[in-house]
Amino acid sequence: MKSIPRRKFIKGTAMAGGALLLLPELEGAMFLNANAGTNYFMQEFGIDENLCQKLLAKALSRGGDFADLYFEYSVSNYLGLEDGKVNQSYGNISLGVGIRTVKGDQIGYGFTQELTPESMLSAATTASTLCDMTATSVSSSFTRPKTGNYYPVSEDFNGIPVKSKLPVLQTIHEKCFSLSPEIVKVNAGFSNVVKRIMVVTSDGVMAEDIIPSGFVYSSVVAERNGKREQSSWNLGGRRDFSYYNEAVINEVAARSVENALKLFEAILPPAGEIPVVLGPGVTGILLHEAIGHGMEADFNRKNVSTYSTMLGKKVAEPFVNIVDDATNMNLAGSINVDDEGVPGKKTMLVENGILTSYIHDKISAKHYGLEPTGNGRRQDFQNYPMPRMRNTYMTGGDASPEDIIKQAGNGIYVENVSNGQVKIGEGDFAFYVSQGRLIENGKLTAPIKDVNIMGNGPKMLANITMAANDLEMYHGGAGQCGKNGQGVPVSFGLPTCLVKSLTVGGTLQKGGQS
Amino acid sequence: MSHNKDQQQEFRELAGWIIEQTKKAGANDCKVSLSKRRFVDINYRDRKPEVIKEATTQSLYLAVFVDNRFAGQSTPDFRKSTLAGFITDLIDSARLMEEDPFRTLPDPKYYTGRKDKDLELSDPGHQQLTPENRHLMVKTVEDACLQKGGEKVISVEAGEHDEIWEDFVQTSNGFEGSTQGTYYQIGASMTAQDEGDRRPAGYHYIGCRYRSDLPSLQEIGSKAAERTLDLMGGKKIATETLPVIIENRVAPRVLNGLLGPMSGSSIQQKRSFLADMKGTQLGSKLFTLIDDPFIPRGLGSEYFDNDGFPARRREFITGGIINDFLIDWYYSRKLGCEPTTGSFSNIILPPGDRNLESIIKDLGRCILITDFIGGNSNSTTGDFSLGVIGKLFDKGQFVQNIAEMNMADNHLKFWNKLAEAGNDPWNYSSVRLPSLVFDDIVVAGI
Repeated sequence: MKSIPRRKFIKGTAMAGGALLLLPELEGAMFLNANAGTNYFMQEFGIDENLCQKLLAKALSRGGDFADLYFEYSVSNYLGLEDGKVNQSYGNISLGVGIRTVKGDQIGYGFTQELTPESMLSAATTASTLCDMTATSVSSSFTRPKTGNYYPVSEDFNGIPVKSKLPVLQTIHEKCFSLSPEIVKVNAGFSNVVKRIMVVTSDGVMAEDIIPSGFVYSSVVAERNGKREQSSWNLGGRRDFSYYNEAVINEVAARSVENALKLFEAILPPAGEIPVVLGPGVTGILLHEAIGHGMEADFNRKNVSTYSTMLGKKVAEPFVNIVDDATNMNLAGSINVDDEGVPGKKTMLVENGILTSYIHDKISAKHYGLEPTGNGRRQDFQNYPMPRMRNTYMTGGDASPEDIIKQAGNGIYVENVSNGQVKIGEGDFAFYVSQGRLIENGKLTAPIKDVNIMGNGPKMLANITMAANDLEMYHGGAGQCGKNGQGVPVSFGLPTCLVKSLTVGGTLQKGGQS
Repeated sequence: MSHNKDQQQEFRELAGWIIEQTKKAGANDCKVSLSKRRFVDINYRDRKPEVIKEATTQSLYLAVFVDNRFAGQSTPDFRKSTLAGFITDLIDSARLMEEDPFRTLPDPKYYTGRKDKDLELSDPGHQQLTPENRHLMVKTVEDACLQKGGEKVISVEAGEHDEIWEDFVQTSNGFEGSTQGTYYQIGASMTAQDEGDRRPAGYHYIGCRYRSDLPSLQEIGSKAAERTLDLMGGKKIATETLPVIIENRVAPRVLNGLLGPMSGSSIQQKRSFLADMKGTQLGSKLFTLIDDPFIPRGLGSEYFDNDGFPARRREFITGGIINDFLIDWYYSRKLGCEPTTGSFSNIILPPGDRNLESIIKDLGRCILITDFIGGNSNSTTGDFSLGVIGKLFDKGQFVQNIAEMNMADNHLKFWNKLAEAGNDPWNYSSVRLPSLVFDDIVVAGI
């Protein structure tokens, strides 16, 4: 189905007993290096180089610049706690191959869930119908690209067993209730996915990877004097079970409870244009939405992004550096290799205030005559890759957070945001502040909640006038970035920074007029 | 893929075998859902195909109930040789869960009374749709959009999606149901050159079950261009309290914040600001919400719901008063009440009798909201905040396009401000709302 031309970020969280927490250690575990490859698809499904060559030859039998195969086997599991009981277990198995033929910026795409030669050849035939020329040749041999290993997992890693997750959820439940008598409901969940992929390209690349992802979350409802408030928190990323230790579980429980209780004191801020201070960490969603999407090169090669004519130009103050990075250890957006077989790397988007690079897949890199940046990502084998962000952040400046708040004078301080959306062509964006504080006379005062912040990406970037040296990355695992109907896990980060003015949407007009 | 009795029989045999094996392996009860879907996507840009995509997918979902414990899993693999292991693994997973006496299949008495009216969900003409037809349809939409957009066009993307599917559900306690359907979606999005670096993008897509229900393709393309040109010069204005009209197609975005808290899970989990409001006045007299699963060719029409309960027309809200909530089998047991249904089918808000033009003329200074951006709604408190895009009018005269503005309110106040419904329900959706007029809304800008 066609998606409307919008990009959305959705922080997936809330949905739906006591025990001691026993966490198995992974002492002396061997860690897989993604470079080595596992030959998993050869061993399990008989996918050898000869068969790959046949499929690629079929995909290019009517011509085209290149073709690729994307094999995927993934197993996902969700375990949920509701009303004190771990009483829901859901799982999904996904298996298939997507076959793409590319000619210029045109894509032919077929996929199949059956890894039989007949079904795969049929999908390759579908992809080939894009072209109507003479056949293009396929590389006679395949080499494995050298990649980093940004999420080492134990050798026998095959997901996290159900038995290990039960005590984690039960502990969250107990912990939340023990933190406040005002907590009336606790939901907790443990989601994890293990995805094995193999990308084979007609120009001779064969790359394999094992990609873990997941998170544990807590979502609570608190009640005070007949009023209810809810809040949730999650931690995760590309990790195995060793990550989910007592400290992590305590933090998930504590943050969800603290945040819910704070909301009882929260007010809605005045509406209108005011200075906004973005606290460090999760507020990086704003960077992702307002700036990152517009820098995705497919929008720019089509000339439909507000950043289409800004490459090489000053877009921000000289202290502003923005990075899109595949190489952060264990973050949700880290990738050893992208879904086109290009190794993950670190890409400077804005350097000393100058827009230096877009975010590229192979199609856009060829369009601009550049090397791909390793941002060709896709949701699964049923979808073709596009330029997508990984972990996007702004490096720190040299101000102190206190000076920034003082400088803001009267405005708002944003602590937590839940989702956002951008219009690529205009650059206009909106994101939802679930938690923050008023700034009055340079000081943090009353808590605020449930307001939207509106602005324009390029204007906001130019209006970042101060940044602190306290960059914090988002360590949640539930963040999904949506584009053209495809979701991929991402992370982001931001230091405390001051945006001179943004529109805050409340129900009170400035000066208290209702 | 085509709809035929062989496919249904194949599904029935496989489901029967799975139920037998699952019970043999130790489950007390189970539910099997099988589906097969074939789709085609064609997108054009710059008068050439940008994406051609086609595939068939299948899915099997099995839910097992073992000694008051529950687990569910899906797989694309229908082979009996691998399903045996799949079934035993799933039962093992269920055994690890904690007991939940509420999690059972519904009492079979609730399965009875299904109507056999033909809902016309499947277009027999789908079989005649050829690749050439599809390309021609997209080209026609693209041409019309380019023509209407004229020199302002930076880029036009036009696309067609069509699909045909078949679902089959069987439970170990006597439920069986199947649905066949088709769906078409076609439209375009356009990006235009505005002042400076602004490139507004607008779109117009139509979705329906029968190809013959599509409006003219030229009209679809032209409308996409018109809606984009309508965004030119959009700017924020000073924060103001004034009447707003929410255009029919985007009105569901606001309504969704009210529908979620009407669910049994929200109520039982104390996450609903509506929990204690049954029988009380939530909105103005004009606010009536009907759930009608029997609209022929309706995008939300259905014969039975997720629990297998026969579809039934219900008036959830009448004259602003909430009559009922969405209570599925599981939460009806937890809440100790009778179930209704767990999900909406086609939602209707009765239309009024005036068109948008007449309404705008009489409203004085007002904003017509044509799209939302970002935002959220708090299900526990009812507070919501949404970015708005639209047009400012004064005494029926267009003043300017607006962008970068925001509308915030609380659902408990907001629906009481519903002053009028237009005569223009948007029927290319399962949420068939007309344009809605609300008084005294704060729209924040400068």
